[in-house]
Amino acid sequence: MNVVTRGIKNALRSPIRSGAIVLMLAISIGLVLAMLVARSSVESKISSVEATSGTLVTVSPAGVSGFAGGGNPLTSTQVAQIAATPHVASIVPSLSDQLGTSDTNLVSSLQLGSFGARQQRFDSTSTTTGSGSSTVTARPAPTPRISVTGTTDPNSISPTGGTLTISSGSTIDGSSSSDVALVGTSLATKNNLKVGSTFTAYGQTTTVSGIYSSGNTFLDSGIIMPLKTVQTLTTQAGAVSSVKATVDSSNNVNSTVSALKTSLGTAADITSEAEQAAASVSSLQSISSLALAGVIGATIAGAIIVLLAMIMVVRERRREIGVIKAIGGTNGKVIAQFMTEALTLTVIGAVIGLVLGVLVSGPMTTSLVQSSSSSTTSTTTPGTRGGGGGGFGGGLNQIGSNLTQVSAAVTPQTFLIAGGLTLLIAIIGSAVPAWFIARVRPAEVLRTE
Amino acid sequence: MLAVKNLTKSFNSPSGKVTALSNVTLSVKTGEFASIIGKSGSGKSTLLSMLGALDVPTSGSIDVDDVDIAKLSAHKQTAYRANQIGFVFQHYNLIPNLSALQNVMLALEFGGTPARIRKVRAEQLLNDVGIDTDQQMRKPSRLSGGQQQRVAIARALANHPAIILADEPTGNLDSETGQKIFDLLHDLSRSENTTIIAVTHDMDIAGKTDKTFILKDGKITTK
Repeated sequence: MNVVTRGIKNALRSPIRSGAIVLMLAISIGLVLAMLVARSSVESKISSVEATSGTLVTVSPAGVSGFAGGGNPLTSTQVAQIAATPHVASIVPSLSDQLGTSDTNLVSSLQLGSFGARQQRFDSTSTTTGSGSSTVTARPAPTPRISVTGTTDPNSISPTGGTLTISSGSTIDGSSSSDVALVGTSLATKNNLKVGSTFTAYGQTTTVSGIYSSGNTFLDSGIIMPLKTVQTLTTQAGAVSSVKATVDSSNNVNSTVSALKTSLGTAADITSEAEQAAASVSSLQSISSLALAGVIGATIAGAIIVLLAMIMVVRERRREIGVIKAIGGTNGKVIAQFMTEALTLTVIGAVIGLVLGVLVSGPMTTSLVQSSSSSTTSTTTPGTRGGGGGGFGGGLNQIGSNLTQVSAAVTPQTFLIAGGLTLLIAIIGSAVPAWFIARVRPAEVLRTE
Repeated sequence: MLAVKNLTKSFNSPSGKVTALSNVTLSVKTGEFASIIGKSGSGKSTLLSMLGALDVPTSGSIDVDDVDIAKLSAHKQTAYRANQIGFVFQHYNLIPNLSALQNVMLALEFGGTPARIRKVRAEQLLNDVGIDTDQQMRKPSRLSGGQQQRVAIARALANHPAIILADEPTGNLDSETGQKIFDLLHDLSRSENTTIIAVTHDMDIAGKTDKTFILKDGKITTK
C-alpha cells in the first residue's frame, strides 16, 4: 500500500461526509460545465450572427423616414457617388411616394383607423365659414392613400429580405421606364385588379404586371413600379428616397459606412445591418459575460468546498498526522497522501458533476438565452409601418428569431477546460491544508488526550 | 549507547518562561531496559520527545552512538525516527483505517523496506508479538487494547531500531495485560539487544527494569 492508495482509501473513510462533499463538488463542477457550455454556445452564436449579419447598408436622405419628416431626396449624383464607393458591390435605389384620391382611380385597401386619421389631420386645406365672432373650421374627412415604391429591384421590398412572392402574373423590370406595376394582394382584391388590368396613376394608365403577397398588411396595400417610371410620373428626375447598398464582404461594412458618411456628409442618414446586429447580439454578449462570471464563481465555490473539507479533515486527523511523522513519514509523503485524498474527492465530484453538467447545460443555455431575448421582441400593428422605411425590418426580425435558437453543444474543448478547472479546484483546495500539515509537530502525538 | 548531556528545554508561555527540563544528564547502554518515573508535569514526555527527535532541545546534546541527534536537520531527524527509533504510545496510536498488518507495513515503507518483502516481514513481526493471521487483517477498532499495543510494538520493531521509546506503554491496560506487554518489551530488549526507555507510573514495572531515572521538576536523579 503506497501513498496514493492510502489517499484514495482515506477519501472513502467516512462515506456520509465524503458523499456530502462529493455532492457539493458535483453541483459546483456541473455548474462550471453548464456555464462553460452556455458561454461557448453563445459566443459561437455571436460570431455566426456577426459573420452572416448581412452586408446591407441603407442610405436615406437626412430628415426623411419613409413618408414622414422633411428634407430633399438624394440626387442622381449622390446615388452615383454611393455606387462608386469602394467595396459597394451593388445598389438598389428606390423612391417612395403616395397616391392621393386625385392621383388615381384606385381605392386604398387600408382602413385609416384612428392612427391613420391622426397622421393625416394636417393634410386637408381648411375652409372657414361664418363671419364676425364665430368662425367654424371644417375639414373634409381624410382618406387613406396608396403607397407607391419605385425601385430597380422589386425583391428589395420583401420584408423577409428574400425574393418577393408573386402570387400571379410576373415581376417587373425595375430598370425599365414603362408604365407597369406590381400590385399588393389586398389592393388588388379591393379594386378587382387582375394581371393585365389597368388603372390610373398620376394621370397615366398603368398595367398590372403581377400581384404580390408579402404577408405584411401595409406592403400588400401598395404598388411597386420601376424607379424611372415613378421618377418621371412624380417629376423628380433622378431623385431617390432610399438606397440599399450591398457591401462585398461583412468585414468591409464598417469601413464602407464611414466612407459613405464622409462622402455624403449631413445629406444622408446611413444605417447598416451589421450595426443593428451588433446591437441585437449585445444581449447575448451579456449572457456570455454572465456565464463567465458563473464559471469563475462556481470554480471558486468548488475550491472553497475542497479547502474547507480538507481543513476539517486535517484538523480532525492532527494526531494521526503526528503519528505518521513520528514513525518516520516525511512532510512530502503526508501532504501527497492528503492531496491524493482531495483529488479523489474532486475526481468523483467531477465525474458526477460533468454528467450533471451535460444534462443541465442544454436547458440552462436555452433558458438563459430566452429570458434575456424575450424583452427585445417587438410586435408591429398590422397596417402601420413607421413610414414604410424599407426592407431592414425583415433581415433584423430574422436575426432576432435566430438569436433565441442558441443550441448548447458540449465540445471536447469545453470538457478539457472543465477538467482543467477541476484540477485547479483540487490544487487550490489542498494547498492550504498542505501548509497546515507541514506545521503539525510530531511531538503533539505525545500529548495525552 | 545513549548519552544525554546538560539537556535543557524551556518554553515561552503567557505566564512567563517555563523550564520543562533543566540540565538533564543520563546515559543508557545498548540493550539496557531503562524506565523514567515521575509525576505529571515533571517533564517525562518532554524528555521522551527530545530522545525521539520529535522536538529540539533549547540546549544540551543527545548522542546516539556518537551522533548528536539534536543538531540533525529536520530531514535527517525524520530519517532518524524512521530507522533508529521505535515508538510505543499509551494510546497505541495506530492508524484507524489501516489493518494491523498495514500499520506495520506503513512503518516498513517509511524505513525504506522494499515493497515486495514488506508483507512477509510485517506478518513475521506480528506473529512474534502474538498477533495471529486472523487478527492481522483486522482494523485497530476490532482489536483489544492489549492486542493493539502488541501491534504498536511490532510497528516499533519494524525497522530494527536502536532504541524503543515507550510512553506509558501499560497505562491503558489492566495489570495482567500490562504485565504481559512489559514482559514482551523485556524479552525484546534481551533477544534483539534493543535499548528500551519506558516512561511509566507503575512502580512495579519500574522496579524490574535495569535502570530507573526519577524525574522531578525537570531535574533527574538516578535511583
